[in-house]
Amino acid sequence: MRLEVKNIRKTFGETEVLHGINFTVESGRALGLLGRNGAGKTTTIRILMDVFHANSGEILLDGKRFVPSRHQIGYLPEERGLYPKRTVLDQMIYLACLRGMKSKEAKESALKWLKRLEVDEYAARKLETLSKGNQQKVQLAATLVCNPEIVILDEPFSGLDPVNSQILKDVVSELISENHLVIFSSHQMSYVEEFCDHIAVIDHGQVVMAGELKEIKKEYGKNRLMLAAENYALDKLAEKTEREWGSYVGISGRKKEFLILELKDGVNRRAFMEQLVKSDVEVEKFGGYEPSLNDIFVSKVGEEEV
Amino acid sequence: MKRFVIVLRYELKEYFSSKVFMVLTAMLAVLGAMLLFLPRFVDMSDFTGVQIVGGDSGEETSKEEGEQTAYIYLDQAGVVQPEILGQMFPESSWSEAADEAEVRAAVEAQEAEAGFVVTGAAAYEYYVYNKSMTDRNTAVFDEAMKLFYRMDYCGNAGWDLEEIAAMYDVPIAVTENVLNKDSESNYWYCYMLVIIVFMLIVYYGQMIAVSVTNEKSNRAIEVLVTSTSPNSLLFGKVIAGAIGGVFQMGVVLGAILISYQVNREQWGGMLDMFLHIPAEVLLAFAFFGLGGYLFYAFLYGAMGALVSKTEDISKSVSGLMVVIMVVYFFSLVQLTNVDGQIIRILSFLPVSSYSTMFARIAMGTVAPWEIVVSFLLLAASIVGTGMLGAKIYRMGTLRYGNPIKITSALKDLKKSE
Repeated sequence: MRLEVKNIRKTFGETEVLHGINFTVESGRALGLLGRNGAGKTTTIRILMDVFHANSGEILLDGKRFVPSRHQIGYLPEERGLYPKRTVLDQMIYLACLRGMKSKEAKESALKWLKRLEVDEYAARKLETLSKGNQQKVQLAATLVCNPEIVILDEPFSGLDPVNSQILKDVVSELISENHLVIFSSHQMSYVEEFCDHIAVIDHGQVVMAGELKEIKKEYGKNRLMLAAENYALDKLAEKTEREWGSYVGISGRKKEFLILELKDGVNRRAFMEQLVKSDVEVEKFGGYEPSLNDIFVSKVGEEEV
Repeated sequence: MKRFVIVLRYELKEYFSSKVFMVLTAMLAVLGAMLLFLPRFVDMSDFTGVQIVGGDSGEETSKEEGEQTAYIYLDQAGVVQPEILGQMFPESSWSEAADEAEVRAAVEAQEAEAGFVVTGAAAYEYYVYNKSMTDRNTAVFDEAMKLFYRMDYCGNAGWDLEEIAAMYDVPIAVTENVLNKDSESNYWYCYMLVIIVFMLIVYYGQMIAVSVTNEKSNRAIEVLVTSTSPNSLLFGKVIAGAIGGVFQMGVVLGAILISYQVNREQWGGMLDMFLHIPAEVLLAFAFFGLGGYLFYAFLYGAMGALVSKTEDISKSVSGLMVVIMVVYFFSLVQLTNVDGQIIRILSFLPVSSYSTMFARIAMGTVAPWEIVVSFLLLAASIVGTGMLGAKIYRMGTLRYGNPIKITSALKDLKKSE
């Protein structure tokens, strides 16, 4: 399966909130929709799920118009919510049946997912009696209960502690390995980085960067170096770099233990290394710098990870 | 259709697995039945006029001697005949006073219920300690005085009063043949059934609105509308509410009607006007009452979708309540004129046919084609309000915050089409 989102535009009242969103994702892959709060991720997902209608643009699945009701989709909305006064198992069976499963099959699947997410002991309890974290896991189980071919998760990690986040990460990884098509939104880069093959960074209603994460990282890190010295503190090293090697490199960032330098146009690594060797700097750390997703995100969107 | 059935079953489970719902239904039914079985076990002859002997037969009884009402009179005109007073005031005992002060004293001491001082052939004074709202003593004594006057006059003129009275009060034999409806006997149960539909609409309509709003407030609605069509969701919810309501009302009403039929003899038929309902009237009630309920239930569902907090529901349904109340009062007022033009028009309007056409069927003259047309209009309107309700429900899915006005909702729907 190949899902293509083409030039989606959406207006609320007089305000255009999506200015032409484009991305593509295939089965067995996960696409991470990244963006700051209010960037347009949830609106994009709601258009995908037909909760909102786009003003223009199209969504295609294997080249044909994508109609969500014709496919098994597991959707975890940003606004979490089920029936607080009904039992966990009861409402999971209900939701599975609504998505076309038979009652017996739905029960088996519900129990399987509850067990997988380690909340099977609460099957007969009313949802409102569970902790927030467990309610969140039940919500995820309800998303996956229909064994969906497409999984769309809007901010799935929000509200989960590290242990439960790990369980969710494992589940999502399994879904990807089982050839499901997974789309999820997040502003927590570390989670996205772990299992996303593709990303689309949305900012102010438009995709400012999209593609294969590996390629993006490679491209972004192409002219970047890391440098640390034994005899210079980072501040002093930064001053020295700007003063003596300003025509070779610029400082594009700094980490706790090293500076991130960017080679100027037309300068190669060898030329800069020669300058470094000639200097009094005793190199502690030097090499190509592979940027994290957070670095890329910050450089594109201009805000630190939330 | 399959999804609708799934929603319906799930929503029905909500009603039938609710202990409050089931216990309340059982309690109301048992309470109603118990009240109607009461004359079998408790002497209610004062109220029903029927004394149960051995539990299976009724006999008229009279008050015991000691329970007779005492009256006192003073006859200054010489016209009073105490034996006639005894006949005209049932269960009474009469004593004659020597003077007016004795009359007054007996009444003040409450030894006598009332006192009469006859001052002339056509004049008297009435003494009573506390005059109740239902005091009929003067009305009866007036009749007695008229009789005394006639007797006195006829006696003086040498006429035979009995002959004259027989000539004036010739008994007329009448056999009533009601060829269509007997409004007099149908009025009260029509009245009661109109109130029942009204209660059904308001009570269960409110429950449906709350149920829809709860889905918004607990944020389940986004999962639901992306899992199935809004039509299935709203129709399932409303039909489940209808079944729940009809079940509860049916059990309670059924228990009351059956209990009354079983104990009708013990009640002396005194509740016939409320509870001895002909089958065809119940059938008309079932079709039109249920139809009207569904019509309004869909609108309640749509109103529930316009708000995101249950405390805002009353604001959202206020316009609908005004319509329901107006129809309710018009229906009750028009029950005394079921063949009039106003009720005829109202009986074709889906907002009011649930009570007015039902009343016309029960009490008036209505052609079969009118019933069919009215019901078809109601049925089409139910489907129409259902579809409109589902669209509003879908549109209101993610609109949280302040209540949405129905006019803005309709404008938005028009725009989106």
